[in-house]
Amino acid sequence: MIVDLTELLSSTLRFGTPILFVALAGLLCERVGIVNIGLEGMMLISAFFAVLGSYLSGSAWVGLGLAIVAGILVALLHAVATIRFGANQIISGIAINMLALGATGYLLVQIYGTPGSTPQVTGFSATPIPFLRDIPFIGPALFGQSWFVWVAVLLAIAIWFLLSRTTIGLRIRASGEQPQVLEASGIAVLPVRYITIAVSGVLCGLGGAYLSLSMLNNFSENMTAGRGFIALAAVIFGGWKAPRVLGAALFFGFATAMIIRVPQDVLDPQLLHIVPYVVTIIALVMFGRGSTAPASVGVPYRPGAQHS
Amino acid sequence: MNAKLSAIRSAALAPALALVVSLIIGAIIMLISGVNPLTAYESLLRGSFGSASALGKTLSNATPLILTGIAVAFAFRGGLFNIGGDGQFAAGAVTAAWLGVSLNLPGLLGPITVLVAAALAGATVGALAGVLKARFRAHEVVVTIMLNFIVVNIAMWLLMHPLDGFTQVPGSAQIRPENALAPLGFGLPGVHLGLVVAIVAAIAATIFLWRTPNGLELRVTGISVKAAKYSGVNGTVAAMIALGGGGAFAGLAGAGEVLGTYGNMTVPFVTNLGFLGIGVALLGRNHPLGCIVGGIVLGALSAGGQRMQFDLGISAHLAEILVAVVLIFITMETAFTRRRKVRASPSPLNSIEASNDR
Repeated sequence: MIVDLTELLSSTLRFGTPILFVALAGLLCERVGIVNIGLEGMMLISAFFAVLGSYLSGSAWVGLGLAIVAGILVALLHAVATIRFGANQIISGIAINMLALGATGYLLVQIYGTPGSTPQVTGFSATPIPFLRDIPFIGPALFGQSWFVWVAVLLAIAIWFLLSRTTIGLRIRASGEQPQVLEASGIAVLPVRYITIAVSGVLCGLGGAYLSLSMLNNFSENMTAGRGFIALAAVIFGGWKAPRVLGAALFFGFATAMIIRVPQDVLDPQLLHIVPYVVTIIALVMFGRGSTAPASVGVPYRPGAQHS
Repeated sequence: MNAKLSAIRSAALAPALALVVSLIIGAIIMLISGVNPLTAYESLLRGSFGSASALGKTLSNATPLILTGIAVAFAFRGGLFNIGGDGQFAAGAVTAAWLGVSLNLPGLLGPITVLVAAALAGATVGALAGVLKARFRAHEVVVTIMLNFIVVNIAMWLLMHPLDGFTQVPGSAQIRPENALAPLGFGLPGVHLGLVVAIVAAIAATIFLWRTPNGLELRVTGISVKAAKYSGVNGTVAAMIALGGGGAFAGLAGAGEVLGTYGNMTVPFVTNLGFLGIGVALLGRNHPLGCIVGGIVLGALSAGGQRMQFDLGISAHLAEILVAVVLIFITMETAFTRRRKVRASPSPLNSIEASNDR
């Protein structure tokens, strides 16, 4: 079995990038104390509006902008429903996934007149870095990619720095661990939560736009195909820590890259699909007891109320 | 009796209001799309209850929904969130496809055996999540999501390899007619014995939860894990019963679709029935009997949505949007009522949120 290593590394990065963007969004939500299983839907809606923006304007950048705005709005819907109106976080997430499927399917027919998929639109082309891409083996894989790949990796580092080295990060973590302590120290918890979740919407916007304007140049129904859930898995497999989430996203990207490369008679590709999910359950079982999950994730916070 | 009636009335208030809000939002979407909402909703009503064939469509849609709804409601009562309905459904469906094709037993023994086996398959998938929750504190929401993908992919692999029927559409062969769930008749096309199975299941779940010691233990666990522990309830067993029992109902739903509706199971295998079950359970206020109502409401929305698409060219995806809006509004504690103190009376939802770090 001969596998082209350059090609394998390249597609690991390509498949890992959308997962990484959305996993970082999930990481921020969980660290600030809000469970978000609506990542899949946020990504799908962003992918849709990315294509719509490019379709209407002819510019991929407008598409990206619209995707980010859509991502922020859906994230705020989750935030307002759960924080302001006390909706259950898990149910709100499920509702967002369902809304995304319904709304994108509906708008697809309304705007383009055909169900299934949109026409091809202007997307982002690869942005290879001169000279560096000519390095043998790793050059084309690492330096011949779209700029999205680099932004995703840089954002992972930035979010690691933000969470572990800055005051803002400390506040985000406190909001997810001991929100009453944060409040006692004179910082309002809810604004921290709203802003962090809005930022997670930006990240989902980037992930959705990368999917529909860089990996592909159109939108098709349910095109995220579970990537949002794999991103959620990456957050947990990565133990709620940015560097490990980066590793998990790349590992899941690698697993996806292998699916189209392993010969049918060696291992059925259908069974490779389950790798991310199986390793996540194993990770949960192994680390469950000494869980590194934020202590107050999923617990609604009411300012001034007594929390035991 | 009067007290009971008024209890039902007050329980139905929030779901009814959420439904009204979603229909209003649906009307706004229609106005923007240039469709008269009154015409559209008339078409929706005609497509769901307006004729025998419409009612048949509603009830055949409702059959699996009632069961996946109970799958969620049952686990809710034990304080656990079962969003593994899709995987448990797939486990039941693929078991039914396997046994339905191969099993050859006299009389009703065939379908009964297949149904029991499918329920066990769904229960196994659910109980696995229960064990991981109780033993290893692996959160059931994440585990059941992951299990959905694992089980659905394994089911598809089974259908493409050992169970391949070598038919035109990839998937299993047709089940033996002896194992099928017969049509109910009454001039309602598409409605089969699976509906009776669903209603019997709802009654059985109600009796189990409110008339048996195990059911009491389950509900106590749902209200307070600590109280249950102090009164000697085995947490692992309670979690296994909550999620395993839930899984059994979803497994039955899968079997009903294979044995009654389709007659086989095809690839790709995509369903949203497990997630829609959450909407059914919420509309039914997490009561198995309420799930019958919830299942019929969502079944009618989907049947009517198809009709709307046919009559007026509005995408049937509108029905999905309506369900999503219902879901968002129904759990909003403070949307319909004035802001008030956190309710003292425990509800399964509150305990689920608290159960994250138990």
